[in-house]
Amino acid sequence: MAKWGMVIDLEKCVGCQACTIACGMENTRLPGEHWQDVIFFQEGTYPNTELKWFPRPCMHCENPSCVAVCPTRATYKTEEGQVLVDWERCIGCKYCMIACPYGVRFYTEEAPRYGGPDLKAVFPAADAHSWSPPWKAPQEDWKHGVGVQPHDVVSKCTFCYHRVSKAPKGTADLDPSNPVMREYTPACVVACSPGARFFGDLSNPNSEVNKQIANKNGVRLLDHLGNRPQVYYLTGVGGAIPNTHTTKA
Amino acid sequence: MIAIREPRDFADVFKYLGALWREEGALRFLRICWNLGREPSAAGAWWKSCLIVGVVAGGYSLYMLFTVGHASFNTSSDGVNWGLAIATYVFFALTSSGLTFIASMPMVFGFRELYPIAKRAIWLAIITLIAGFSVLALELGHPFRMLWAMPTGLQVMSPMFWMGVFYSIDLVLLLIKFYLLWQEDWDSPLSHFVGTASFVAVILASGMLGLVFGSIVMRPMWYGSFTSIYYILTGALCGAAATVVTTYMAYDFDRAKMPPVLREMAEGDHMPKVFATLIGIALVMILTRFWTGLWSNLDGLEGFHALARSPLFYGEVLIGLGLPFLMMLSSRIEHKPGMQMAAAFLVLGAMFINRYEFIVGGQLVPMFKGTWVASLTEYTPSLTEWALTAFGFAIALGLYALGEKLFNLSATPQSLMVARAGDRRMAH
Repeated sequence: MAKWGMVIDLEKCVGCQACTIACGMENTRLPGEHWQDVIFFQEGTYPNTELKWFPRPCMHCENPSCVAVCPTRATYKTEEGQVLVDWERCIGCKYCMIACPYGVRFYTEEAPRYGGPDLKAVFPAADAHSWSPPWKAPQEDWKHGVGVQPHDVVSKCTFCYHRVSKAPKGTADLDPSNPVMREYTPACVVACSPGARFFGDLSNPNSEVNKQIANKNGVRLLDHLGNRPQVYYLTGVGGAIPNTHTTKA
Repeated sequence: MIAIREPRDFADVFKYLGALWREEGALRFLRICWNLGREPSAAGAWWKSCLIVGVVAGGYSLYMLFTVGHASFNTSSDGVNWGLAIATYVFFALTSSGLTFIASMPMVFGFRELYPIAKRAIWLAIITLIAGFSVLALELGHPFRMLWAMPTGLQVMSPMFWMGVFYSIDLVLLLIKFYLLWQEDWDSPLSHFVGTASFVAVILASGMLGLVFGSIVMRPMWYGSFTSIYYILTGALCGAAATVVTTYMAYDFDRAKMPPVLREMAEGDHMPKVFATLIGIALVMILTRFWTGLWSNLDGLEGFHALARSPLFYGEVLIGLGLPFLMMLSSRIEHKPGMQMAAAFLVLGAMFINRYEFIVGGQLVPMFKGTWVASLTEYTPSLTEWALTAFGFAIALGLYALGEKLFNLSATPQSLMVARAGDRRMAH
């Protein structure tokens, strides 16, 4: 059984946010509902400051606090390591959002994040969906939190479950440069033009993600909290991840 | 005016209301309900104003929830996920727990002189819990789904799961306990057993509610077992304050109308001292919590600085808790009914602010929400959230007034009255 994980090389990441856009298109997200966000922050104090950034998907933690707190088991971890939300069990209590240290979860019923227009009001749904976008990706699987969600539930990055779960068994690397694997690879990895993202099986010692983590000293965000993310960052000499929640001084 | 007789049991309540509806017709039935408070009494006036507030605030919040949905709340995925509605729920749930503690004093720990407030405290515990659950249900995305998804999910790791379990057990035991007192069963082994079980359940329930917040290490302003103790003890304070207010109200704010047992208690030294002790404990906990929060550099505690800059904090600590503390310690004014009531009202107000400050303050530090999010989140409750809170208060206070009308909430065991009469004869 694979244990999917991601490696993001911050030395290669240029902060273009193509991953954010690709994720939004692939998963039909609202503006601002960034399952995959790129967070810019400042290091140092004026005048010795530097602008830094790091992309932040869901960490799909090994010890996910969101799964432990969910009173209905709507949030769960698959055998292959993805942390998903079953929209047919979610009661919208938002406890998972309280418990997630990475802020990767979104509640459906909220005012528009960028001050409007409210696309949910512009394209209302006649059925149980929270809205009916004029164009949307074909996949829909509410049991795994895929597609346009219903009202009053919590949504989050699925590690593109609808793509990755179809990958051939025993796959070590989902490398977008390999045409065979490309359609199984998460959208943000495919869209990353500098090739800063790697996706593969963390339980396979020969996978590229494991080699990158070992050779370039991969680190995890807020590791002291013990959630053990399955997303690793390679900071090298130029990159950085913040070690506090507040990305501003 | 229609005379309201005390129903015999829960079935009788509904049978009586059904019969009244059939005999009088819907319109006259509604008029009778409205006029429940025609005779001049505090509870009667309370009932009418609660009906008005309940219809207006409940109508508005339900209208907004059905038309706009939860987007009419000012809560946001970027910062404050749990807002005023959750603070209101916590306030009611913990007040209910505190009232159960008060009722347990005579029923579990043998402080027989508190029997005259036991039945009222249990009724209040039931209705404050109902008010809290009602507000929580309207805050949840899918409250009805919860009814099957929580029992079938059985996520025993979740503090919220256990909070639901213990508060449900608590509510059932409170209803049984109220029924037993209704049937004048004060001293049977069954009554004692239910009383003890209810006390254990409410400790677990309020402690678990504390752990809903206290388990979350990612929110250091909440983290730790302290939160459980804090909730249990400040809940007891809310229960004591609610008991003082409603006991006075039941006797039209006139101590002379109270039965001798109660009057002696209100005039004696014990009640103000116990009240002052509970306020003192709350003050120590609040101030030590703020001390560690302001002193520490730990990431995530920055919210304490924002809270300490807020006028609400000073209103809560100085006016809502400090002043009543001094009032209840002063031998000159601690016995005055007006002062006791003022102290109780101030404490209830302060504790409501405290719940709001605790819930919202704990989420002020946003968690990686992007460049455009401020270092501390701004949150002001929307009109819908305020209306929902007002609706919760209308439910609690309206049902309380209804209880005063329907039930003899001042009921006291006959044996206690006989014993008190015997004591007085001995004294003479």
